[in-house]
Amino acid sequence: MAGWFDPRRTNIERWAYTFQRVTGLAVLAYVVAHIGDTSFFVGGPFGEGPSRASWAAGLSVTESLLGHLVLVMVVLVVVYHGINGVRLILSEYGVIFDKPSRPDYPYRAKSLRAVQRHLIWVAIVGAILAALYSGGLLLG
Amino acid sequence: MRESTLMQMQYVTAVLAVLLVGVHLLMQGVLVPYGEAVSFQRVLSVYRDAVDGALLEILLVVVLAHGFNGLRTILIEWRQTPSWTRGVNWAVLVAALATMAYGTRTVILAATGQVS
Amino acid sequence: MAGEEVVLKIRRFDPSLDERPRVEAFAVPLKEGMTVLDALIYVKSRLDHGLAVRFSCRMASCGSCGMKIDGRARLACETQISSLPRGAVAVEPMDNFPIVRDLVVDLERFFARHAAAMPGLVRERDPEEQESPTGEYLMAPGELESFVQFTYCIKCGLCSSSCPTASTDALFPGPQALSQAYRFLADPRDEGEERRLERVDAEHGVWRCHFAGTCSAVCPKGVDPALGIQLLKRHVMSARSPFGRKKRRGAPVFPNPNGDLLGQP
Repeated sequence: MAGWFDPRRTNIERWAYTFQRVTGLAVLAYVVAHIGDTSFFVGGPFGEGPSRASWAAGLSVTESLLGHLVLVMVVLVVVYHGINGVRLILSEYGVIFDKPSRPDYPYRAKSLRAVQRHLIWVAIVGAILAALYSGGLLLG
Repeated sequence: MRESTLMQMQYVTAVLAVLLVGVHLLMQGVLVPYGEAVSFQRVLSVYRDAVDGALLEILLVVVLAHGFNGLRTILIEWRQTPSWTRGVNWAVLVAALATMAYGTRTVILAATGQVS
Repeated sequence: MAGEEVVLKIRRFDPSLDERPRVEAFAVPLKEGMTVLDALIYVKSRLDHGLAVRFSCRMASCGSCGMKIDGRARLACETQISSLPRGAVAVEPMDNFPIVRDLVVDLERFFARHAAAMPGLVRERDPEEQESPTGEYLMAPGELESFVQFTYCIKCGLCSSSCPTASTDALFPGPQALSQAYRFLADPRDEGEERRLERVDAEHGVWRCHFAGTCSAVCPKGVDPALGIQLLKRHVMSARSPFGRKKRRGAPVFPNPNGDLLGQP
């Protein structure tokens, strides 16, 4: 599995690929946990309807410094995964590449110098800005 | 199912997830202050609103379908024995359906259950 | 330059003798314009005849000397030592292939995957034309341009050795075979679309690519396999969709007025 996490001395798209996997797994883990914690609104696994007491108990766990730090991290990885995902869809539909053409020395790959490369930076910067915003909201 | 059909589903759920998660994040802190967004009254009114409740349910299904299919992709690229592939395909499907069912139960109970 | 040396740290491994690979260092006198292959040939001729290394043309045409140099897949013959960071040069066999000995890897399965991509024109209407041609297939210059870059592949294996999916997925055809599949799907003379689509649109087919792009970063000929694979994905989606555009297929044969293809009456 080392090949998935070995982006040494290659291209930024390889980093984007590794991040996309890691953030995807992180978001899935959070979503499953979030479906668990939101169920406290109806009293947890054995509840029967909206319950103020159960919801307050649930919030007492999630509304903590640790809970808020997790939320900020989730915002960071969700925004990255989303923007980078849009880049991948556009790339896989081949719409943000130049047409193929006869290659010339020094043979720089066109697919790695197209608009898609800028979108990786949009994803990184967007994710950091969103995390800073939510951090100011939740931790500030 | 053809692999391209699954991939098409992955793209469609991706685009829907970007839109719905975007709305969800905006409603949980930007357009509605965070403290209010998690208050019991506010959450109850969201679940009881037909449109908002339906959007939450769609968000649940879309994100889980996308996420578990992504997990399947990672796992089948990891090992390739026939039993592993078959096991992964079934396990991921069952896990996705079970999580969807549990989340849907929350949405239905929150929308229709007796408040206590 | 005179009197300077470069140290090659070469990973040695003989599967029939050794339990695990070991690294051996060799000091080679540096010459102006020296490539890693030149240094390896010096090691083999002067320092250790037992070093196994495969090479032929020495000019990036044959694709024999693919290896990992300073952690990155490159052709030894077109890698100048002066272009590498100062210090010892780490030389290892390519990843994702079984090692025959030292720097020589087994490319048999790699070539089998190339063959499985059906790297030749498939014709339904005039199959005999391929064996005894009576003319040439009509094709516009723009149509040639749409796939010509993918014909520059020299099958060196650098792309498949750098691909993260290929590092774990033993059934993945790899960037080389997939970009060749696209090269023939984009060819207006080809009529094998259905069979080609069945092969690439499979569980361990084109969708196991996630555009990490390293194949294109290491390709020594500008083939840009990643571009070919993304265009292949578009082609598959378009062919599977009722609204997709269909390409012109089965370019007609233009009879040679001079008789056979050598122009002899």
